[in-house]
Amino acid sequence: MSRPTPRITGVLVTLSMLALVFLFVRGCPSQDTNAGTATTTGRRGGQLVASARGTPRTFNRLVAGDQPSDTFAMLTQGPLVRMNRATFQLEPWLAEKWESSPDGLTHTLHLRRGSLWSDGTPFTSADVLFTLQAMYDPKVESVVASGVMPGGKPIQATAPDAQTVVLAYAQPSGSGIGLLDAVPILPKHKLEGALKDGTFAKAWNTGTAPSEIVGMGPFVLREFKPGERLVFDRNPNYWRTAPDGQKLPYLDRLVLQFIPEQNAELLALQAGTTDLTQSELRPDDYVPVRRAEEEGKLTLIEGGVGPDADALWFCLDPEQKKGDRRLAFVQKREFRQAISHAVDREEFAHTVFLGEAVPIWGPITPGNKPWFSPNVPRYPYDLAKARDLLKSIGLEDRNGNGVVETADGVEARFTVMTQRGIAYYERGVSVIREQAAKIGIAFEAAPMEYPSMIERLLKCQYEAVYMRPYFSTLDPAGNLDFWLSSGSTHFWHMAQETPATEWEGRIDSIMREQATTVDAARRRELFNDAQRTLAENVPVLYFAAPRLYFAHSRRTMGVVPSVMRPPLLWNADSLSVSGP
Amino acid sequence: MARFLIRRLTFALVLLVCTSSAALFLTRLAPGDVTSQLGAFAPRAEVEAARTRFGLDRNPVVQWGQWISRAVRLDFGDSFLYNRPVGPIVVEAAGKTALLAASALVVSTLLGLGLGVFTGSRRAGWLSACVRGASVMFISVPPLLMSLILVFIAARTRWLPTGGMLSATTVDASWTESLADVAWHLVLPTLALALPIAAAFERLQSQSMSEAVRQPFLLAAIARGVERRELVWRHAWPVSIRPICGVYGLVIGSLLSGSFIVEYITAWPGIGRLMYEALRARDIYLVSACAAAGAGFLAFGTLLGDVLLAVADPRVREDIEA
Amino acid sequence: MKTAGAVMLGVIVLAACAASWLAPNPPNRRFADLLYAPPTRIHVGDDMALPHVHPLRIASRLERRFEEDRTQHIPLRWFSDGVLVSAAPDAGAPLLLLGADAYGRDRFSRLLHGSRATLALGLLATLLATVVGAIVGGVAGYAGGRLDTLLSRASEFVVVLPAIYVTLALRAVMPLVLPGSTIFVLLLAIFALLGWPMVARGVRAIILVERDREYAVAARAAGASATRVLTRHLLPAAGGYLRTQATLLLPAFILAESTMSYVGLGFPDTTPTWGTMLQESSNVAMLGDAPWALAPAAAIFMVVLGVNLLVQSTGRAPVQLER
Repeated sequence: MSRPTPRITGVLVTLSMLALVFLFVRGCPSQDTNAGTATTTGRRGGQLVASARGTPRTFNRLVAGDQPSDTFAMLTQGPLVRMNRATFQLEPWLAEKWESSPDGLTHTLHLRRGSLWSDGTPFTSADVLFTLQAMYDPKVESVVASGVMPGGKPIQATAPDAQTVVLAYAQPSGSGIGLLDAVPILPKHKLEGALKDGTFAKAWNTGTAPSEIVGMGPFVLREFKPGERLVFDRNPNYWRTAPDGQKLPYLDRLVLQFIPEQNAELLALQAGTTDLTQSELRPDDYVPVRRAEEEGKLTLIEGGVGPDADALWFCLDPEQKKGDRRLAFVQKREFRQAISHAVDREEFAHTVFLGEAVPIWGPITPGNKPWFSPNVPRYPYDLAKARDLLKSIGLEDRNGNGVVETADGVEARFTVMTQRGIAYYERGVSVIREQAAKIGIAFEAAPMEYPSMIERLLKCQYEAVYMRPYFSTLDPAGNLDFWLSSGSTHFWHMAQETPATEWEGRIDSIMREQATTVDAARRRELFNDAQRTLAENVPVLYFAAPRLYFAHSRRTMGVVPSVMRPPLLWNADSLSVSGP
Repeated sequence: MARFLIRRLTFALVLLVCTSSAALFLTRLAPGDVTSQLGAFAPRAEVEAARTRFGLDRNPVVQWGQWISRAVRLDFGDSFLYNRPVGPIVVEAAGKTALLAASALVVSTLLGLGLGVFTGSRRAGWLSACVRGASVMFISVPPLLMSLILVFIAARTRWLPTGGMLSATTVDASWTESLADVAWHLVLPTLALALPIAAAFERLQSQSMSEAVRQPFLLAAIARGVERRELVWRHAWPVSIRPICGVYGLVIGSLLSGSFIVEYITAWPGIGRLMYEALRARDIYLVSACAAAGAGFLAFGTLLGDVLLAVADPRVREDIEA
Repeated sequence: MKTAGAVMLGVIVLAACAASWLAPNPPNRRFADLLYAPPTRIHVGDDMALPHVHPLRIASRLERRFEEDRTQHIPLRWFSDGVLVSAAPDAGAPLLLLGADAYGRDRFSRLLHGSRATLALGLLATLLATVVGAIVGGVAGYAGGRLDTLLSRASEFVVVLPAIYVTLALRAVMPLVLPGSTIFVLLLAIFALLGWPMVARGVRAIILVERDREYAVAARAAGASATRVLTRHLLPAAGGYLRTQATLLLPAFILAESTMSYVGLGFPDTTPTWGTMLQESSNVAMLGDAPWALAPAAAIFMVVLGVNLLVQSTGRAPVQLER
C-alpha cells in the first residue's frame, strides 16, 4: 500500500464533496407548506397530529393523575361542569344548568337531555352517581377523591330522576361546583362490573381494547401503539355544537405522537410532522421558531405569563435540621428578605429567560389572573438594605473572606440542589449565586437527577433547592397542601402537627376560611391577605415568572392557548385544520 | 455440532440470567427509585402502593428470589413507565432494534464488500482512490456523529423523516403502505449505523482481496485464460472473505452498541432507548428485562458469527465438531 | 498517510496541553450579555491597521441578534495575561472564535480545555486497559491449566457484553451528585474494566506460542522465575500487538466518553469535555444558525481519523468498530 498520492486525493475529494453537501444543505430553501389564507374557524374534517412527551399510565383518570392520563381523559371523557382554561369561567358541560342553595351545601344539577355515550347508550344521572361512588370507594384509592371532598367528607349524591342530580356537601366550598371540573364522568354500563368485583383500580388500563373505552368526550380512542402514538376518531355522538351550528368536533381524527425529548419535539414541529406540541417553547427555541414563522411554516403564539415560577427555598424544618448551626439565622425572615433584596430581578429575567419574564415576589403570578394580587410587599434591588438586614441578625464578614458569618464563625455557605439538564434552572442558580455573593452569601450549585432530587426533597436532605413547583389548579382552595402548615407540599417544612410560626398559623386560618367561603369577593380578600403574609415572611423566594410561548402549524386553526395544562389541547373539540 | 449448539445455548441462558440479575441489583442499589416518577408531591398512599408493587419495600435478595421464581413462569414483572407487563414491551422493542441492526448489517455488507472487492481487485484509478479515501473518512465518523449529521441534513432538506418509526398518516394505511412507511423511517438510522461499518468492511475486504489476487493459484487461473469477472468472484473472493467472517461476530456486537446512540438521536423505538429511559426512571423490572434482551442479542450475534466462521473456514469447523 | 495521522494527533495533543495558554478566555466564564453570540469577527485594515474586534451589543435577547459597535476598536492583545491572544473580556468584548453557548461561555476555550479531560480520560483508560490486559493475558497464557481457563472465561464473559450498555448501566446507577473528578475516576474504572479482555485475549494467544520458543525454554532452564520470564522475555514479544490495540482503544474510549456525556450520564455540564459540549447539538434546530456548535464533533472526528491513518500503515486494516 504505497500510493499515498491517490489516497490523499481521495480524502480531499471526499472532503470537498462533503463540504459541498453541507453548503447546499445550509442554503437549501425550505419547502413552503401551502397553507393558503386562513378563513373562518371550523372547517370540518381533516387530521391533526400533536406531539406528547409521555404515555398515559392508564385510561382510567380516577386512578392516575399524570399529565398524559389527564389529557386522555380530557379528549375522551367529559365532566359535569368545565372551567374554561382561557377565561377561567365555569361553563355548563354535561350539566346544562344548576342551582345552588345560599348556604352552599346543596347543588342541583340538570343534565342535558338526549345526550348519548359514544357507543349510543343514553347518558343519565345513574352514570354520575356511579362515578362518584367509584371515586370515593376506598378499594379504588382514587387520586382524584382528595381534591373533591369539601369538609373532608365525600359528596353525597342523589338522583331524583334520570336528568337531575342533587349534591350535598358537608361544608360549603369556595370553589362550589367548580370542584367537579376534576371529575370525568365514567360509564356505568361499562365499569359497573369492575367496581362490584373490586377490580376497578385495574380497569381500563392501557392494555384495554379501544372499543371498551366509552366516554362523553369529543373523541373516541381508535388505536394505542405503546411508545408510539395514540389515535382518536371523532365521537359521532358528541353533544356539543359550534356557534355556527356545526356539530363538534371539527376534526375527523386526532393523533398524539409520542416524542419524549423536547429537542426532537421541536424538530418534528418544524419538519411539519406534527401540528402542535404540548410543551411551551423554551426561550432558547424562540429564534428557530420565529424564523419558521417568517417562512410561513409555523405560527408563534403568546400564552401570557405562566402561573408557575421558579423558586428558591431552604429547608426550615428544625427536626430535620437539628444540629445544623446555620438554621438559627436561616430561620430568621431577615435572612431571606436580604437575599430577595440582593437579586436584581430585571437582570434575572434577562439572563435566565432572555428577557421574557416578569418579576414576582410571591407564588401567585400575574398569569393566575383570577387570583393574582399585585399588593404583595416587594423587595426592590437594594444591596445596602440587604447588607443591613444581614447585619441586624448578626451576619457580617468579620474575617474578610467575602462570606458573612455569625459571631461564632458559622458561615453563610450553602449548596443549591437543582434539576440538571434544564437551562433556565442552571442559569437561574448562577444568577442567584453571583448576586448573593455580593452580600456575602455563598451558594454552590449541585445539579442532580430528578429522582435523586425528589428523594432528598421529601426527606429534607438538602440545604437549599431551586426548582419550579407546579400548582395543580389555579384555585387556591385546591392547593391547600401547599398553604396549610400541615400540608404535604408545604415544601420548606412539610406536614407540621402544629404551626411552627405565628404567621404560618395565621395563614392556616385564613386559607381554611377562604376554602369554605362561598362569597367570591370575600375569598379574594382573604387570599390577598394570605399572599401578603407569605411575601412578608418569605419562606420561599420567587424572582421571575416566564412568559409562555407556543407554536403550531399554519394549517391549525382555532387554537386558544391556556396557561394551564394541557395548554393547546384543552379545547380540542374546537380545533380544526385548513387542509386534509 | 449439536453438542456445540447446546453448549452455546446453555452459556447464553446463564448469561441472560446473570445480566438481568445484575441489572436488578444495580438498580436497587442506585439512589432514588421509581416512585420519584410520581412527582415531588404525590400522595403518600400512592407512593407506598407503588413501592409494594415493585418490591421496593423488601430486601434486594428477597426481591430477587421472588423475581426468579416468577421468571421461570415467564412473568417478568411490570413496568412503571408503561403500566404493563414488561415482557411484551421488551419483545417489541427488541424486534425493532433487530430490524434496525439487520438492515444495517445487510446494507453495510453489500456496500462494504462490494466496494471492497472493487477497490481490492483494481488498485489503480481515481475512482478506487476516491472510494478508499471515503472509507478512511467514514470509518472515522462513528454512529454518534453520523446520526447527528444525518438528522441535521434531514431536518434542513426534509428529504427524510428526522426520527421515529411511523408517520401519523399511516393510521388507516394498508399493510404495504405501513411497511413502506417504516422503510422510509428506517433509512436514516440504518445509514448512521451502517456507513462506518461498511467502510470498515470495505477496508478489510479490499486488503484481503488484494492479497488473494496475488496468490499463485490465481496466476495459474489467469494463465488458463479464465475471464476477469470469474477470476474475481469465483476464485479470489471466497478466499478473501475468511478474515471478514472472523470479524463478523464483533461487527454484530458493535451494531448493538452503536444502535444505542443511533436510537437515542433518531428516536427509533428500540431496546437502546427503552433501556436508557428505564435506567433514568429506575424502572427496575424493565431495566433487568432490557439487560437480558441485550445480552440475548449479543449471544445470538456471536453464535451467528461463529457459525459463519465455521462455514468459511474448515479448520474451525473441525474444532467445533471435535 | 501515517505521518498525516501522527501530525493530526500530535496537533490535538499539543493543543490540549497548551490549552490554558491558547484559550483566550477561561472555559467557565459566563458572559451574561453574550448568550448565543456568533463568532467574533476579526477586522484588519478598516480604521485600524492592527487586527481588531468590535464589541457586540445586544439588539434583541430573545432573537439572539447582536450588532457590532463600530465606534469602538479593540485591538487584539498578544502574549498578555498568560494567554496567546485575547481581546478585552472585561470590557464586554471577549474574543469568541466559535461564539458563545447558551450560558455565554466561549466555545473555543471550552473546546481546548475539554480536549484535556477527554484525551486524558481516553489515554489513561487505554493505558490501564492495556497494562491490565497484558498482565492477565500473560499470566493466563503462561500458567495454563485452571488459571488459564478461569481468566479466559472471565475475559470471554466481558467481551461478550455490549460495552455501551454496561457503561450506561454502571454509570446510571451511581448518584449524579458527583464532582467532575469523581466521574473521571468512575468512567476510568468502567472503561478499563471493559477494555482489558480484548487486550488479554490477544496477549494470551501470543504468549501461548512464545512460551514454547527456544529462548523462553532456555530462560526457564537457566533458572529464571516465572515472573522474570514473563516480563523480560515473553511480554515484549507482544509489544507490537499491544501498541496496535492501544491505538485502537483510544478512539473507542473517547467515543464512549462522548456518548455518555451526550446522553447526560458523563461529566456534568460545567466541566467542559467534548461530550458535554455535544449536548448543545442535540438541539438540531439551532444547528442551522450555529453550525460551529458541531466543533467537538469535528475534534472527535479528527482524533479518530488520525488514529485510523496511523494504524492503516501497519498493514492491518482497522477493525476499529464501536465497542
